Amino acid sequence: MAGDAIVAEELTYSYGELVAVDHISFKIAEGEILGFLGPNGAGKTTTVKMLTGQLKPKGGKAVVLGMDVASDAGKVRGEIGVCFEQTNLYEQMSALENLQLFARLFGVGDFDGKTLLKRVGLDGREKDKVEGYSKGMKQRLMVARSLVNRPRILFLDEPTAGLDPTSAEAICSIILEERARGATVFLTTHDMMEADKLSDRVAFMNGGKIVALDTPHNLKQQYGKRALKAKIQTPTGELLDREVVLDQPETPDLVHKLFAGERVVTIHSEEATLEDIFIKITGRGLKE
Amino acid sequence: MNLAGIRALVVKDFTLFFRNRFFALVTPLALVVYVGLYFIMPRSVDETMEIGLYAPGWQTIVADMEQQGLRIHMAESEDELKDGVTDYAYVAGIVLPADLREKLASGEKPGITLYVASDVTEEAKEAVASLMREMIYTLSGQPLAVEFSTTILPGPDMAGEQIPPRDRMRPLFAVFLVIFETFGMATLITEEIERRTIQALLVTPVSVKDLFAAKGITGITLAFGQAALFMAFVGGLNEQPAIIILALLLAALLVTGVGFLMASLAKDMMSVLAWGVLALVILVIPAMGTLFPGVITGWAKIIPSYYVVDTVDKVANYGSGWPDVWQNLLILVAFSAFLLLVGMVALRRRFQ
Repeated sequence: MAGDAIVAEELTYSYGELVAVDHISFKIAEGEILGFLGPNGAGKTTTVKMLTGQLKPKGGKAVVLGMDVASDAGKVRGEIGVCFEQTNLYEQMSALENLQLFARLFGVGDFDGKTLLKRVGLDGREKDKVEGYSKGMKQRLMVARSLVNRPRILFLDEPTAGLDPTSAEAICSIILEERARGATVFLTTHDMMEADKLSDRVAFMNGGKIVALDTPHNLKQQYGKRALKAKIQTPTGELLDREVVLDQPETPDLVHKLFAGERVVTIHSEEATLEDIFIKITGRGLKE
Repeated sequence: MNLAGIRALVVKDFTLFFRNRFFALVTPLALVVYVGLYFIMPRSVDETMEIGLYAPGWQTIVADMEQQGLRIHMAESEDELKDGVTDYAYVAGIVLPADLREKLASGEKPGITLYVASDVTEEAKEAVASLMREMIYTLSGQPLAVEFSTTILPGPDMAGEQIPPRDRMRPLFAVFLVIFETFGMATLITEEIERRTIQALLVTPVSVKDLFAAKGITGITLAFGQAALFMAFVGGLNEQPAIIILALLLAALLVTGVGFLMASLAKDMMSVLAWGVLALVILVIPAMGTLFPGVITGWAKIIPSYYVVDTVDKVANYGSGWPDVWQNLLILVAFSAFLLLVGMVALRRRFQ
């Protein structure tokens, strides 16, 4: 049975009077992908900073791979990889030089930068200066940089924000490959589809607190509403929408009536999205 | 300390420094220009005083006086003499009346006219007045009633072996080269903060101390390297090279501290420039004292660069040794340590 990669106990941080993270506790198992969802200012980035040793918690404790982040920050940082939301590469250096620099900082002896760049689709451009790269290429390089030390835990902050579908898909594939390798992934994102697709569990953060933490399936079961969405055609040729809520005692009768009494043009099932559930729990949207 | 990490960061900083077109161009150019300027400037000081004289009948006395380091231009008329003064052909013009000797013999007071340009210094006026008194005594044939005893303070009498302007400029150029690196250091750090690459570094096993060590090594190497090369090219290391090298190393340490402080205050590249110019103006003030002795007074000693300039000047130009400059070096160590410490504390807050 896999151990815990990350344990947060009553983790707290405040900027002056503003409590950014308010006594949050959670555990993430090794090899798990946790989607960390919340609107801007919810405390996601502050939480990541405490878990990666960039900020010292004002209260509580963060244990990463069995090490207390406050006292063993250096050792913890040697085992993790962090991909930031905003591009922070050395733009006057090439992609290969950027990766080689970080490989040296991590003390990686037999580093093969070219293979890593090929993995993120940047082969052939490895010697070009980063300043000439597109946003998607830079983001893929950021992901590659977070992998130079083959981290046991990968912290990814909005890794696909603003990217074209091809680049976003490439990054999602890498995340799944890393999980398959055994890495734990802490994925901070606004993108519910991405979180739903990739995450084993998701945590909803709002106002510095974790308001829900479970698998996407369980959250949908608990808070969501499954339904059938049908489009029917009236005798006059007009198209109308019909909805039948599933998992209710009267559902079979309603479905029967729909097909018996109406001319059904299209029909499909629909389940609640994580955003619907977040709104239901917090009363606000994720993109606020 | 993570030595491999520090080495990687220093290599990275040098790479980025020389990939910045401005610094890549200015760094070697400044060195070449200063060395070039040094060799263009006169290698000796002309101590001859030139004056104009309208005094028909006194050619013999003029010839005697010229032997004493005085060059006298004889004018054909008083108007020609005045033109010579206004055209700066000589420091002053003197008119001696034709009946000077007779009047002196009869005990009358002869009238002597002295023309000087409006912007002639008080020192030059004093020198010409003394010369005139001496001329009168010579012409009257009477020995001076008093005996002059001249003592030059401080140090040895440099008459006849004045320090050439180019050697006076050496401390100024060396300090310029060192100070200029505050811009380079502050720019490297500010870029690191502005572009958030510092965040990426701080999630690696490299600690903040390692970062400071790497930045310090880069700053000191750049500042010291240029100043030491300059001094080597212009013969500034011929006298007591160990003292000069130590003074330049401490100066490099000092400007690295100033660079850290500037980077902690600067929000962007424009503010690096603004703070840099302020630092440059303040730190260069003591160096002006070597060019214009007497202009800089005791207050300049509160500026840390004074102790660099004074040490380099005393050792390279006057042959001073450890006993003469150890106090300067000690004060420099204290200033450098203080500025480095303040700079690191301020910058640490910025990193977080």
